[in-house]
Formats: sequence, structure tokens, C-alpha cells
Amino acid sequence: MNSSWFREIRAVFMKEWQSEMRSQSGLITGLLFSVVTVYTISFAMLNTKIKGTEVAGLLWVALLFSSASSLPRIFLAEEEQGTAELLRLVARPHSVFWGKALFNSLQCVVTGILLSVLYLGFSGKVVTVPWLFAVCLVAGCLSLAGAVTLCGAIASQAINRAVLSAAIAVPLLLPLVSLGVSGMRVSLNDGLMSDGVGAAIGLVGYACATMATGPYIFAAVWKS
Amino acid sequence: MGVATAWSFLVPPAKGFQKPEMARIFLWHFPCPMLAVFLLMFGAWSSLRVFQRVTVKPSFSVSPETDHAMKSLWDLRAIAAMELGYLFCLLTMATGILFSEAEWGAWWSWDPRQTSFLIVLLIYAAYFALRFAYTDSGKKAAFSGAYSLATILPTLFLVFVFPRLPQIKNMSLHPSNSIVGGLIKGEYGQCVCLILALVAILTVYLFKLRVRAGLLEIRQENNDGQFEHLGNGSAPTGVVRPVSLP
Amino acid sequence: MLKVDRLGKKYGGRWIFRELSFELGVGDRLVILGRNGAGKSTLLRTIAGLTSRTEGTVMLPEGDSRCTLGLCALEQSVYGQLTVAEHLQLTADLRGCPARIDELLEKVNLDYARSRPASQLSTGMKARMKMAMAIQANPAALLLDEPGAGLDEEGRMLIDQITAEQATRGCLIVATNDPLERRLANLELQLV
Repeated sequence: MNSSWFREIRAVFMKEWQSEMRSQSGLITGLLFSVVTVYTISFAMLNTKIKGTEVAGLLWVALLFSSASSLPRIFLAEEEQGTAELLRLVARPHSVFWGKALFNSLQCVVTGILLSVLYLGFSGKVVTVPWLFAVCLVAGCLSLAGAVTLCGAIASQAINRAVLSAAIAVPLLLPLVSLGVSGMRVSLNDGLMSDGVGAAIGLVGYACATMATGPYIFAAVWKS
Repeated sequence: MGVATAWSFLVPPAKGFQKPEMARIFLWHFPCPMLAVFLLMFGAWSSLRVFQRVTVKPSFSVSPETDHAMKSLWDLRAIAAMELGYLFCLLTMATGILFSEAEWGAWWSWDPRQTSFLIVLLIYAAYFALRFAYTDSGKKAAFSGAYSLATILPTLFLVFVFPRLPQIKNMSLHPSNSIVGGLIKGEYGQCVCLILALVAILTVYLFKLRVRAGLLEIRQENNDGQFEHLGNGSAPTGVVRPVSLP
Repeated sequence: MLKVDRLGKKYGGRWIFRELSFELGVGDRLVILGRNGAGKSTLLRTIAGLTSRTEGTVMLPEGDSRCTLGLCALEQSVYGQLTVAEHLQLTADLRGCPARIDELLEKVNLDYARSRPASQLSTGMKARMKMAMAIQANPAALLLDEPGAGLDEEGRMLIDQITAEQATRGCLIVATNDPLERRLANLELQLV
């Protein structure tokens, strides 16, 4: 990547960072959503001994809905405020996608770590294979961020954009959740190691495929 | 088609099934997912062709009339394929659920293949939801096309990879080697091939009909615009002339 | 430099404009006049590539359109949380051109508000900031939509100065409702 692309992607990323840090609406909403979700799940499972598969499943469901509801905002806000036109005029689509996807990835990884720490703390589950847990969490978050960013862009100009972006993202992310649960349950001492490694490889592949194809699909619709 | 339907009811009941006479549903179940996946992939490919005109030749020197006409045609092909593909998805689910009840004793048994195909169904329902959410035809084509391209990998994963994963395969009641393992033979084999061929021919006919109907709609709309332009000259136009200040 | 040939835009089965043709060279300043809803802003947006065209062609000046084309429109939105200087830095980074923040802010007389968030700017101040962003890369074609709206007398003089400078390096298109703004142009196009 040459310095021109780096400068453009950094500019979009910094714009998102500065806007988020100054308004803090998305950050606070995301944190609140994470805490409330974890607390609700733990409250519903009060005094219930749950297995690794169930812990992984609930964690991924929380992560899926947290990202599907908060990450598309990054494009929806641009369209609602009318600032997308300024970007269309001065930016190349690939840099817009990369800058926003990186910002969403960061947000998703932070939310994922927070959700995991809180949830594992509440459920008292011990991670037996930490590296597998970390790979599944990070690769899963990158895939989620890439796919949800793209869905946000695709739904951004629709009439019912806020609901639609989550509605079109969730079915696309279900295979990812299946892989994520398969990998993470093994890291929580439930299942065969070979299955967990296979799922982790699948997640990394999904993340690479999403991040590689996302900019091209986005470029096709950016000026529509 | 009538002969094939009659034949599908006349083939002898298959041995080794809980309800051998219900095994005949397989003859109609088998072509549906094949055609559904093929049509959904063709729809995605048609969407790609819509974009090729836009992204490969973004230069303003491309004649927009040709560009617009080609985009409309490929978009019509995409929507025709998606609609028919979705119909076959629904038929796959319906025939599968019937067979599930007959063979496994439950309408829905959370079989990995049933579940993964339901997700495919949801993905394509989302495609139509997205399409209906845009009113402008250009945006409809672009945004739904982008979504159909984004769904290729998850769909292929759900249809071909997920049911064959080692940890999933053992949980599935659904046979996965009916064709490759040569389990369909004799009269069943002949009948299933005939039905597949006939349904494929019918699909091509319906596909062409849908595209033609779409083209007629576009032509009608263009004619309306032409009449408006010629009739009362309501489409603003003008010529450049030097400024004359008072 | 900028050529529009048989341009037409149709929306929802209705033609917004049709059969528009003109060619602008260096020094040409075109003012587009017309009643409300005649399609002036849509025409500018179509030329800028922000709206798809239904028929006809637009040939933009040679080079990367991010730098060769500048657009300043009344309804163009800006980022409420970013300051004036950050806006100029952002557009420069995205275009790949020098930011020239001090020079541009001095030119549009907005130096005193460089650290102020855009949400705290008045309409006129926002118009000056958008003008600074539009001319940042010294574009060969500058498109102005209702440039005088919201500006005071000093702001109008600034528009005169910028359009005069633009005429020395390229062409200019101004879409307006205000007949007084014909003074900015040497050519006019009445959308009827």
C-alpha cells in the first residue's frame, strides 16, 4: 500500500475517531448494550450450570446483535446528515470502505473483549485454550465488522435504513456465528481440538474474504 | 410435464424407507435445490454484469443510452433468476419438510441441511426486502446487486461446506451421497432425470417470459417519458448564450 | 475543458431536463438560471457525478476528478464535530493535495474560527468554509450552487474575487435563482 492510500485511509479513520470521541453517543450506547446484554443473559441463567457450547453460543449471539445494531451507524449517519456527498466528491471508495471498516473493527474488537470479560466473569467459565479463544474473537470481530460495514453501506440510502441494515446483515452473519461457536466452545473445554482449529481457520478465511471483497462491492455502489 | 407427473406417482414405492410410498416426493425434491442454487448464482453473476458497465468503464465517454439499456437488461435477468431461485428454495423447503415428517417423524428436526437451507432462504428474503426498500430503479439494481454478490460466499458455505463439516455431518439424518454413491438407480433414476430436465426447460421458459415482461414495462415507461417530452415540452432545456446585462 | 453533450436526467418517469449541450473552455463562466425546480442543482450534481445521468455525456477536465472538480453547494452538509481546520485537512488528505489551511482561511476570512466545530458556525461561515474546501486543489472546473445565499456584502465580494481567479485557471458554472449573480458570468443558460 503506497503512502497516498495510507493517508486517505488514515484520514477517514481519524474523522470517525474524532467524531466518535467528541459525540461519544455510539461509544456509550455500545458499552451500555454490552453490559445490559451480559447481565440479562446471566440473570436468565441464574444458578444454572451451563456448558462451553452454550457459553460460546450466547456470547456470539450477544456479539452478533451488538454489532448488527451499532456498526451500520457509520454509514447511516453520513446519509442522514448529508455528509456522504462530501466524501463522494473528494474520496476514493476503497479508502472510505477501509477507513470505516477499520474503525468498525476496532469498535467490534473492544466490544467483543468487554463482552467476553464480563460474560466469563459472570458465568465463572475458564478459558482452557486462550490462543484459540483470542483467534476466534479477533477473526470473528473482523469478519463481523467487514460484513456489517458493507451491509450498512448497501442499506444506507433505503427508506427504512436503520432496521433494514440489521435485517440484511444477520442472515449473512449466521454462517460466521456457526464457525465462531464451533471454535470458541473448544477453547472453553467442550469439543475436539481439531474441530476448534478447523473453525478458527474458517473464521480467519471468512475475515480475509470479507475484507478482500468488501471494498470492490462497496466501490460498485458508492456513487449510485 | 403431465406424463412426468403421472410417472412420478406410478414408480414403485422405494424400499428401506419408513413410508415407502412417500419416498416419491424425492423425485420432486431433488431438482429443486439444484435449480435454486444455480439460479441464485446466475442472479449474482447477472448483478456482476450490471456493475461491470459501471465500474469497468466509469469514464463519462461511454454512451449512457447503451450503458443504461445493458444495465436494465442484466438487472432484469438478475431479478428473474432471483425470483425463480427463491421459488425453488421455497419448494425445496416444502418438499423437504413433507419428507422429513414421513421419514423422520417430525416436520422440523433441526437437521443441519434443513437449517442451513433455511438460512439461505432468509438471505434471499433479505435480498427482496432490500430491493423493495429502494424506489429508484438504478439504486434498486445497484444495491440489491451488491447484496447478491455479498451473499455468494455465505450461500456456497451453507449449501456445500456446512453440511459436510466433520462435526456436523454425523449429526445429519439427510443422506449426502444419493447421487455420487449411486443410490438412485433403475426406474427412480430415469424418472428423476426426466423431471430434472423438464423442470429445467420450464424454468428457462419462465425466465425468458419474466425478462420479456420486464422489458415491455421499461419500454412502456420510456414511451410515457417520450410523450411527455414531445407533448407539452415540460422537460426543461435551454441553449447557452452570452450574458446581456441591462 | 468541460463538455456536456445532450445531457438528460429522468427521475420517477419525469424528465428533469433534457437535450442540454454546451462546452466551456478556460475563462468561461456560465450562469444557470431557472425557476425553482427547473433542475439547476440537479444539473450541477449530474455534472459532478453525484447523480447518475439518464442520457447524454459529460467530459470532465483531464485528471483526477477529486482535484480537477470543485463543488460548493448550499445544501452540502459538513461534519458537526470537526473544526474548520480539520475539515480542510480531511479534504486535502482525501484528495492527495496540499492542505493550505492558513492560506485558504485567510482568503475566505475565516482564520479567527479555525478551531471552532462546524456545528457552531453560522450559515455564512459554513458557506465560506465550503468555498475554501471547493477551491483547495485549484480545480480546473468550479461548480457553485447558490453561492450568494447566506452571505453578507463582504462574502459576496469574496465570491466575485474567487470567480475572477477561477476564470484565469479554468471554467466556472454557477447555478442561481438570483438574477444579480449574472454579473459573475459571461455566458448564461436559462432552463425553461
